[in-house]
Amino acid sequence: MTRAKTTETTANVGRVLRLDSSRVTFAKTLVVCGVLLLTLLLIVALMSLFGSEKLPARAALCALISFGKASCGLTADQDAILFDIRLPRILLGAAVGGSLAVAGASYQSLLRNPLAEPYLLGISNGAAVGTMIALVFMGAQEWSRPLLAFSGALAATFVVYRLAQGRTGATPERLILAGVIVTTFLSSAIVFVTTLMDATRIRSFTFWLLGDLSGSTNKLLWLALFIAVAGTFVLAAHARSLNLLMLGERDAFDLGVEVSRVRLVVFIVASLLVGSSVASSGSVGYVGLVVPHLVRLSLGSDNRITVPAAAICGAIFVVVADTIARTVIAPRELPVGAITALIGAPLFVYLLRRR
Amino acid sequence: MDSKAVCSPADACSFFAKEGRRDFLLKRQLTKPRSPKLSSPRRAVSFALCLGLLLSACSTRQNSTVNDASFHQITDEAGRNIKVPATVTRFISLAPSITEIVFAIGAGEGLVGRTTFCNYPPEAAKVEAVGDTLKPSIERIIALRPQVVFVSTASQLEAFTTELDAHNIAVYVTDSHDLDGVFRSIERISDLLGRRPQADELLKQLRGRVAAVEDKVKPQPPVRVFYQVSDEPLYTIGRDAFITDLLKRVGGISVTADVPGAWPKYSAESALAARPDAIILPTGGSMGDANSNVAAPLKRSPAVANHRVYKVNEDHLSRPGPRSVDGLEELARALHPEVFSK
Repeated sequence: MTRAKTTETTANVGRVLRLDSSRVTFAKTLVVCGVLLLTLLLIVALMSLFGSEKLPARAALCALISFGKASCGLTADQDAILFDIRLPRILLGAAVGGSLAVAGASYQSLLRNPLAEPYLLGISNGAAVGTMIALVFMGAQEWSRPLLAFSGALAATFVVYRLAQGRTGATPERLILAGVIVTTFLSSAIVFVTTLMDATRIRSFTFWLLGDLSGSTNKLLWLALFIAVAGTFVLAAHARSLNLLMLGERDAFDLGVEVSRVRLVVFIVASLLVGSSVASSGSVGYVGLVVPHLVRLSLGSDNRITVPAAAICGAIFVVVADTIARTVIAPRELPVGAITALIGAPLFVYLLRRR
Repeated sequence: MDSKAVCSPADACSFFAKEGRRDFLLKRQLTKPRSPKLSSPRRAVSFALCLGLLLSACSTRQNSTVNDASFHQITDEAGRNIKVPATVTRFISLAPSITEIVFAIGAGEGLVGRTTFCNYPPEAAKVEAVGDTLKPSIERIIALRPQVVFVSTASQLEAFTTELDAHNIAVYVTDSHDLDGVFRSIERISDLLGRRPQADELLKQLRGRVAAVEDKVKPQPPVRVFYQVSDEPLYTIGRDAFITDLLKRVGGISVTADVPGAWPKYSAESALAARPDAIILPTGGSMGDANSNVAAPLKRSPAVANHRVYKVNEDHLSRPGPRSVDGLEELARALHPEVFSK
């Protein structure tokens, strides 16, 4: 019995980490992340050439490379469009995409559930309720938005986790059911609050609930960027524990993982990531689900690569999606959440069927 | 008129009467042997009473039930064919603009229901509220027994009209995209409510005020205006907004006049690049102090540099009704202070 279990476990480790096909080394992680980071930089530069207003491409590139020090023949207005409006929005998109994707990737490993994702688990909604409370009752204090969003996300995480715990532990089905319950409950709470609000504010809220990168401030942008980078590093540092947790909490504990500490760290860091992105741009759906899976399909499921790669790919994904959202019906705009779902779902199906 | 709807009151009464009589006879047969003397007159009285009640119920019903002669078919502003009674004495308004029109043509006493947004004129507060424009309570509407319900949006119209049709309540949709449309709307509502003379008087006065403003601003060079509906997220007016027409009439050009739709969410870069000479912030009224700041991308515009940012009463501009002319005058004074200061 014990031997059978051990063999099974070893087989699982082999399958999950795909040790037979490719060995994950620190060097390999560095190379993969380096290539992806370069791609992200290129994408950011390329996407800042597109927008509802046309900018001369060569001059804009020249200005971007010189970090705005040389005007390169851009007028003052064009310079302001590029550096005050377009670039901050692209950076916010990168921060939000990275945060959501890395949060999704670590939830999926920690909870051993391919469907675990901030949006589906109700964690985004928890952050949204927090942000709404901040906007309605503490509109003047800017710091209240990310703080209450973080608290909401953390509260939702713990409620979902508690609800998912049965006598036999948290099964994947219980977890998703708990997520659905919390999501629908919080959605109703949001509807309730919007109904009580005066009509003029409802329009902005409905747009914001679908995910919108246009209405952020510089402070929130820097906060979101800082949390995205720091959070990715913390989660990547726990990648080895997350790998072992994919075998189950019991086995991970036997293999020397401090399960409860890792779980607490992941919950807090992921709530910070989700909270800061929701506070600055609303709930952008689908990123936390689609991006980690795309990364696993193409790079394997070792979290030492998956976690940092998911962060960078999530950033690329949202930056591209938002470029579409702000150009396709320019000068009008679409919510970015609509685009992430529209691109994400078919891409996911394609990659899934190809394998 | 379909057969289902034609339940002539006479039929209904005779049916009830027959039913009542049979019931009565049945009971009489059963009770007769016990107390023939006492019950008979009492029952006769109660029967007469019942019959009287039924008849009176039928006769009051006669006023509101469908009757071919007293109904006529009209087309509302959304192009829908509706049947309305010749004399409309009970109706509900589901838009603040329509409530204002109704009171302005002196038909306010027939208004039996309004929305929570209808805060003008003050008399409107005495009318029962049936919810807000987007989520009215259909039960309360039916309970108020209106003959016509006036609606200004096409949202949720399908389910809404089917439900009200079943209760013989007509739904009239107003749909005005410019000031002429508002005036047409006033005329048509007044025709429906039998207030045409009052409406003609009102329109004469309103048209006079509009003409006075237009004459004054005509020689002035047009001003390029940005109309900021909300600052975060940035919303403005598009091609189909009624305010785009108002701005044109007061010697302004909306920089977003070509954008499709009525209330588009607008790109921040395009707002910055538009460089408007004046910015209008609709605020106050029902808005409170919301939207009283210029959105960040507009801070570099000539309008801000030259202190040409104007706050106007949102209630006048967002409601296509008689007070739109007040809004028109406010806009004209803002855009062309030089011709109005004297």
